[in-house]
Amino acid sequence: MTSKYSLGEFEEVVLLTVAVLHGNAYGIAIKEDIELRLKRNVSVGAMRTALRRLEDKGFLESEFGEATAVRGGKRKRFHKVTPLGKKALDYVMNSRRKLWDAIPATAFQFK
Amino acid sequence: MRDPSPDIKPPQLPLKVLRWFCDPELLEDIEGDLSELFHSRASKSIYRAKLLYARDVLQLFRPGVIKKFGRFNPVNNIDMLFNHIRTAVRQAGKYKGYTAINIAGLVVGLASCMLILLWVADETSKDQFHEKSDRLYQVWRNLVQSNGDVQTTWGIPFPLEHVLLTQYPEVEAVTSYTWEMEYMFRQEEISSFEKGHFATPGFFDVFSYRLIVGDPKKVLVDGPTIVISDRMALKFFGNDWREKAIGQTIKMDDRTDYEVTGVFEYPGDNSSVQFDWLIGAKQFIDRQTWANSWYNGGFSIFFTLRPGADTEAVRKRIEQEVIKNTNKESNEPLYLQLFSENYLHGTFENGIPVGGRIQYVRILSAIAIFLLLLASINFMNLATARSSLRAREIGVRKVMGAQRSTLSQQFFTEATLYAVASTVVASAIVYLVLPYFNMLTGKSIHIRFSDPMVWLTLGGMIMLTGMLSGAYPAIMLSSFSVAKSLKGRTKQVGGNYFRHALVTFQFAISIFLISGTFIISKQLAYILNKDIGLLRDNLVSIDLTGTLYDKKEVYMNSLRGIPEVKDVTLSSASPINLDMSTGGATWPGKDPNMVIEINVLSVNENFVKTMGMKIVKGEDFSNAFLRDSARFLINEVLADILGFDDPVGKELTVWGTTGTIAGVVGNFHMASMYDPIAPLIIRYSRVDAGTAFVRINANTYDALTSIERVTKDINPAFPFRYEFLDEDFARQYRGERSVSSLVKIFAGVSIFIACLGLLGLSSFSADQRSKEIGVRKVHGASVSSLVLLLSKQYAKLMIIAFIIATPLSYFYMRRWLGDFAYRIDMNVALFIVAGVVTFAIGALTVSYRSYSAALANPVKTLKEE
Repeated sequence: MTSKYSLGEFEEVVLLTVAVLHGNAYGIAIKEDIELRLKRNVSVGAMRTALRRLEDKGFLESEFGEATAVRGGKRKRFHKVTPLGKKALDYVMNSRRKLWDAIPATAFQFK
Repeated sequence: MRDPSPDIKPPQLPLKVLRWFCDPELLEDIEGDLSELFHSRASKSIYRAKLLYARDVLQLFRPGVIKKFGRFNPVNNIDMLFNHIRTAVRQAGKYKGYTAINIAGLVVGLASCMLILLWVADETSKDQFHEKSDRLYQVWRNLVQSNGDVQTTWGIPFPLEHVLLTQYPEVEAVTSYTWEMEYMFRQEEISSFEKGHFATPGFFDVFSYRLIVGDPKKVLVDGPTIVISDRMALKFFGNDWREKAIGQTIKMDDRTDYEVTGVFEYPGDNSSVQFDWLIGAKQFIDRQTWANSWYNGGFSIFFTLRPGADTEAVRKRIEQEVIKNTNKESNEPLYLQLFSENYLHGTFENGIPVGGRIQYVRILSAIAIFLLLLASINFMNLATARSSLRAREIGVRKVMGAQRSTLSQQFFTEATLYAVASTVVASAIVYLVLPYFNMLTGKSIHIRFSDPMVWLTLGGMIMLTGMLSGAYPAIMLSSFSVAKSLKGRTKQVGGNYFRHALVTFQFAISIFLISGTFIISKQLAYILNKDIGLLRDNLVSIDLTGTLYDKKEVYMNSLRGIPEVKDVTLSSASPINLDMSTGGATWPGKDPNMVIEINVLSVNENFVKTMGMKIVKGEDFSNAFLRDSARFLINEVLADILGFDDPVGKELTVWGTTGTIAGVVGNFHMASMYDPIAPLIIRYSRVDAGTAFVRINANTYDALTSIERVTKDINPAFPFRYEFLDEDFARQYRGERSVSSLVKIFAGVSIFIACLGLLGLSSFSADQRSKEIGVRKVHGASVSSLVLLLSKQYAKLMIIAFIIATPLSYFYMRRWLGDFAYRIDMNVALFIVAGVVTFAIGALTVSYRSYSAALANPVKTLKEE
């Protein structure tokens, strides 16, 4: 998408998942949720890059949470969708819907 | 927090790798994530979890996660700098001709710039040393004439000082002093003429002149006391004047004794006022009672305001003082000017300062900037013109990983290096020519190398020159594309337009300066050679000092007895420098509301004849004393103002004497050429005339020896002193003449620099086109057609420069000339001559290289590949 909101497919998935996990969206939780819900494999690196890009674009914001033993004493970084992120998601969905609506009924009648 | 199960730990090596490359901002979070993952995976298989951990770390090695490593490793900056310097030196050595042109241009430009800066610094530092200079004011008096003209004078009624002291709480200290006077002082065998003022006690309070010996509170008091300069003290009391001077008596003009009560430091170059003695003003006022009146101005008055006082309120109040105290008889508003501004802003028009020497400071500052710019342009032009020669170097540097910024740095380094070298040479030159420069400008400037300002300025000049000349090459040359520059000779960067524009600019400035020079020197020649209405050559003036004054009849007669002397007369002032005027002259039929200031000159018989003036109407004074003392001569200007058909025989009252007009004298210039000739009354008076004017023949030496002998006979106590009127006249325009010669020299410098640049450019383009010229020659082109081919483009530029420069020059010179009441007409021929001169010099420069290029044997130029 080169238009108003540039949002890649995987970025869209991550952004939506952050919204799904509202309040509990940190690295591993996002990764597991995507794997569970969408049945697709997500590498830590890819997810990390996507999160960073989304944050750079202003669609996400983040803050540190508590540290746990299982994380080796490292704090979690919780992510949250920003209003701009919400707009971007709306825009993507609307554009999809417009396209869907525009498809003539006969287009998908496969023989 | 401690790990709950110490034996199950993430693998250390991948963790270390991660910590090395990971952005520290993300590290904590990622480490935590990986650790959490590891623990959940480890519950199944530790081995597998470790493997996956390593894989995840590997997958994290991607942009966005990797930390930002510095784009450069900063350690080789110094090495690069050395490399740049080495390259620059090699380049300079390789192309010696261009280097010479660059350095010569910069050296000449910088040296001129430094000299001008020194001059400007000297001018602007005048009178700035007074500690209270930010609240030290001088009072000026505006004489409003009924025709609307305003004459501004330093002469202020003396009673104002008392008013300021007693009625103005804002005023801290006041002082007044008389105009500069010269007397002969004697102490035992030693005698000399010294200049100074009568001043009131506030003098050392208001000004910051330093009193070396004596109590500032006790000098200049009412009694017959004097303070003298250290120069004068040394002259009279020898080396130990510090101990000896105080309490001694000095005789003034062999009449009055004064006791020395203090010695002050001679004002020196930083002061616009110079004086060797000061005597209490009371001594003057007691004898010259006229000066102590609201109707006469004989003193310059200065005062300091208390810190924080409301200047505007004081200004408003002071303005009315003379008007108030003369019951509105004199419409003479007073004006306040900061004393520190007076030196540069000393020209008044309509009662307010409109400029003065600041004009010359501005002109020369502009020239300094122009010259630096001209020299920098040469550097720029040559660097870009020859860019193709350096294309490969730039290409290779880029391939080896040089950033654009590094290349820019390289060219800046190169330019700065040139600037440093040129500044060193230029400083040496300035040091050597400074004595001549001082001679030319009549200043005594010297460079104090201990002054940090000198070094700061030099450093600033290096930086500025480096920046100016390096900027364009740095931007243009570093923008070469690698592929193109490596392929071989690229096109010259920046296009010819820019370079041509710069050359045009250089020549426009040169033409501007040259035509300015022409006009200034023509105007000066006009002033200095103008028929001023009297014959000023071979006219000697001698002040009647000592016994000469009492024995003036005898003296005049003995002078007349000298064969080389043609005529002798006495006058109250030099006819080219009148110092008396009155607003109180009346005549029958004068409009009672008319206010007019008329100059008055008191003379003896033979005045008109000795001066070589002309009687236009009526007759000269005859020798009959009684008859002449009731008769006046007037000049043509006054005759016009009186308005009679024939003024001869009409009545006139001046200074209480009523008489008739005997004749009308042809106008002569009695003040500077900046002012129109003013109305004048010449009256006959034996008492007031204190200067002898002697017309001698061409045998100057014999005449002066005889005059000296006669003078010494009558007045043996005083040294013989005389002045030539023509020298006195020329001295009035000393400032103009020194500025004119400065402008002349720097106009020459500007055309020299511009031609150097032209020489470089034309040589380069001749080199570049050597093959083309060879081919043309082989095909039969003549030398002259080739020279024309190579020179044509520059001719065009010079014509454009002429078209740009001429109107600008016309505009500015008209403004400069506008200050003169008597001035030359600016005709087109002047500008054309300036243009042709510049054009000829430029054409010679270009054709010099074009000619040798055209002469070259085509076999040689075509052979090399």
